[in-house]
Amino acid sequence: MDNMIVKTKSLKKYYQVGCHVVKALDGVDLEVKEREFVSIIGKSGCGKSTLLHMIGGLDSPTEGTVTVDGIELEKMNHEQLAIFRRRKVGFIFQQYNLIPDLNVYDNIVFPLELDGAETDTAFIDVLLEALHIADKKISLPSMLSGGEQQRVAIARALAVKPAIILADEPTGNLDTSSSHEVIGLLKVIAKQYQQTLIVITHDLDIAQLADRTIQIKDGKIWKGNDFYVGK
Amino acid sequence: MLANNNKPIISKLAKNTVRANKHQFVVLFITVLLSAFMLFSIFTVGLNYLDLSRLQNTRLYGTEFDASVINGFTEEQREIAQNNSHVETVGRQAYSGHVKSTDSDDTVNVGLLWCDKAFWEDQKTPAITKMQGHYPNAENELLATTDILKECGKEHLNIGDSFTMTYEDNKGIHTKEFKLSGIWSGYGTDKINFYVSDDFYEKSGFEPEKNGILNIKFKNNYVLGSTIDRLQESLDLSSRQIFQATDYIDRSMTILAALCGLCLIICISAYLLIFNILYLSVSGKVRYYGLLQALGMTKKQLVQFIRKQMSAIGIAGIVIGILLGIAVSLGIVPYTMEMLGISVGNIKIQFYPIVVILSAFTTALAILCSLRTPIRAATEITPTEAAKYRTNNVTISRHLKKKKSAVVLLSLSMSLIVFLCLTAVINTYGERTVYPNYWNADFIICNSTQTTEDIHSLHPAIGNDFLSEITKIDGVAEVHAMRGIPAVFPYQADGFSDFWIKEYTEVKTYLSYSDTVQGYRENPEKYYGMIKGIDEEEFDYLNQTLGNAVDKQSFLNGETAVLQFAGFEIPQKWIGNSIPFQVESKKQEIKIGAVSYGDYYGATVNIGANLVVSDEYLNRLTNQASILSLNIKYGQSYDEDAEQKIKKHFNENPYSKDLFYLSKYDDMKAIQDSQGNLFAVGTAISLLLLFVGMLNYVNTITSSIQNRKLTFAIMESVGMSRKQIKKLLIRESILYAFGSIVITLTAGMGIAYIVFQSMNYMKVQFAIPVIPLSFAFLLVSIICVFTPIISYKKIAGDSSLTERLREYE
Repeated sequence: MDNMIVKTKSLKKYYQVGCHVVKALDGVDLEVKEREFVSIIGKSGCGKSTLLHMIGGLDSPTEGTVTVDGIELEKMNHEQLAIFRRRKVGFIFQQYNLIPDLNVYDNIVFPLELDGAETDTAFIDVLLEALHIADKKISLPSMLSGGEQQRVAIARALAVKPAIILADEPTGNLDTSSSHEVIGLLKVIAKQYQQTLIVITHDLDIAQLADRTIQIKDGKIWKGNDFYVGK
Repeated sequence: MLANNNKPIISKLAKNTVRANKHQFVVLFITVLLSAFMLFSIFTVGLNYLDLSRLQNTRLYGTEFDASVINGFTEEQREIAQNNSHVETVGRQAYSGHVKSTDSDDTVNVGLLWCDKAFWEDQKTPAITKMQGHYPNAENELLATTDILKECGKEHLNIGDSFTMTYEDNKGIHTKEFKLSGIWSGYGTDKINFYVSDDFYEKSGFEPEKNGILNIKFKNNYVLGSTIDRLQESLDLSSRQIFQATDYIDRSMTILAALCGLCLIICISAYLLIFNILYLSVSGKVRYYGLLQALGMTKKQLVQFIRKQMSAIGIAGIVIGILLGIAVSLGIVPYTMEMLGISVGNIKIQFYPIVVILSAFTTALAILCSLRTPIRAATEITPTEAAKYRTNNVTISRHLKKKKSAVVLLSLSMSLIVFLCLTAVINTYGERTVYPNYWNADFIICNSTQTTEDIHSLHPAIGNDFLSEITKIDGVAEVHAMRGIPAVFPYQADGFSDFWIKEYTEVKTYLSYSDTVQGYRENPEKYYGMIKGIDEEEFDYLNQTLGNAVDKQSFLNGETAVLQFAGFEIPQKWIGNSIPFQVESKKQEIKIGAVSYGDYYGATVNIGANLVVSDEYLNRLTNQASILSLNIKYGQSYDEDAEQKIKKHFNENPYSKDLFYLSKYDDMKAIQDSQGNLFAVGTAISLLLLFVGMLNYVNTITSSIQNRKLTFAIMESVGMSRKQIKKLLIRESILYAFGSIVITLTAGMGIAYIVFQSMNYMKVQFAIPVIPLSFAFLLVSIICVFTPIISYKKIAGDSSLTERLREYE
């Protein structure tokens, strides 16, 4: 039997907006196997990013549980969650979320240095080469194009060799050819380092590259065959 | 093209913006308010300081004057001074003799002074707190203080009462009946003198050209040194005359400059804070200003919009700040001081209308200057730039970051430096301005039981028991007793005694030299002198003042003595010569090693010479020596407990009427009284300045953390723990605290030293106010460390990481 690296059980996330309750996630049961590539699709506001944040330990559920690599996240405090994120998870955000004061290289090794770990400079150089940003090593994020910034964000996510890579619309700001190139690269690296890859996308072409596609609708996993894709 | 009337919409927008950014504008309002308040307080306190410094001068000397000519003056010099355009009044004062005894007390030591109307009405009146009766008109009238009446044993007398006294003027010794024309109380060294009428002075034989003093008061409280120099030159003084400007007037311009410097620092502090807040506000509203421009707002309207926001805050802050200043300076501080039982005497802080205008203008100027750069920055934002703007994506240039950090560091350092300057100046106020006693004693007790002619009049008023009690008092560190015994210097033609008596008859012009010598030959005891013994430590000090002219061993062995001489200069031939004298009828001889021209060793009424010898030698001469004075030093200067205990012993001494004391503590208290509430106001201002600096820091750091909210969220999202972020913030803030402390301890200390010395009348050693400064450093460090942590906790604590990341999407 394949090992499940991600398990969510009756996962709920409710937000209070004024006098209304918004159900971002409303009972999500999800299992993702080790080394699996899963794509998540759904309309804007359906809860897919919330689900990814829950899995990455960025947010806590209102109800239900999230287990990643055998660790129950809701039982962890802020400190433990921070350590979990920097050791187990590689996050790629649509807005890149690079640290503006640090150059490309420092941004990439930042999670490693937080952990006090020794930087595998050879590996970082491989990543820089593979992502075509080796010549931008000492540039500040503000000096890079959107595509270059996204590559830096990917390199940062991969630098710690995490067990799981979570990517929230990693190609949202890229053109079609760059998008395919980035996803291809992610897939290759994930396979090479036996990592699990969960990608949120609104692009069905990219979604189809995954081993499995999950559709979220109104905070729940949609079991039907019809796809509701789009922002 | 006609201009649209867009004022209402801009006003509405400005109002709404202020309402929506309450926190930021409250900080701006407080800054303006505090700046106006502090400028008002500094100007008010500064001008009061100048006025009160003059008042203090008036109280110390008992006269409101700025310069004087002593050792006589001519009528022509008086007219020159009077006609000088900078001079307000010129008063005349002259010595008219001294009282030797009354029918109640035969050891009276009281002078007789005369002054003219200008001196009494314009210069003396400000130092008088109570006046009953009038200045003497008739020759037999006297004006007294209660202290003098007590000294004469006539404390029960009232105005109009008569008494008999023996006095000496330049024509001889007379005994007459006098009537009290008035009793005054107030300040000044002339409290131990009777004032006499014009008639009395004219008949006293003294002349203004020889014994007169010309007191000059300038029109302004601050006068340039060159003005004083020109006046001095115009008087064409003889070599005998001495022109002396008071310390206060000499330094008045420096004080004024220091005051202006302090105001400049406050303006810069206010400017930095307002600039910083507005600049941060503009950089945080790039999208908003771009949107306004995209919607059609012109650059001119944008400028109007920002100015409108600031004008409302500015006007309100200035008005309330000044009102607060008026309330605090003129009402709350004196009231609180009185409630706390601190004497403010009859001193009231003056209100100067010009200060209101000056502080409002200066604050407004600081606001206008600080607005320029942020307004330029706001108008330079284009709608396109604004549309692309995402706080975290725009990397603020390193130059701007450095500038911001420098502004915060400078502001913190400046507050600390001003705090250091003010506390250094305030803490030592008493010490800086009090005149030191001989050998910087805290308390001096003198035995004044002697009479001039009676060699046996000296009583042991300061006994060994009394000395032992004083020595045992807690807080008394050293007591140096000067013992003495009357000595007869036998007359020798052309010898030392002849020189001495010749000098004496020259001073007492009514005496005939030959008659006096005749009297001396017949009855040398009437012209007795004193042999005064001092201990080794006192000798070390005395010898140091004499340029170590005396061989110590020779002095201690009793081979050499120091001669006290009140004249101008003693002929060299007597130095190194041996002088014969008799103590208890035994002939002795001692060599004069050096001459002391100070009064301390001459403070006895004997006509003959005073020889200062070693204690040991005096003990060899006699076992009958009496204690003449005690020079007391405390472990801690101005020790109140020790002071009170000594005074208690003093008052319980059966001879207390014939003892007198000099107290450094009393002198310092007199100065503090004259300063009134300046101490409290000064302390409050220094604390407020510190507060403004910290407010600047708090505001900048809070805004900076707010601006870095997304960066921190990103850092957390990739695994940086909150603990690590806090550590990062603490390191940053320690750099600010450490930097400002280093600047204060280096450049600040230099500035404080210069400011201190510019106000250091009495050449007091500069002392670092360790306790207040440590308190300020601690406070700054705490604020520096906790501000970012609290700000971070506030931005991170309330919302989840996801929410914080999404805020910027």
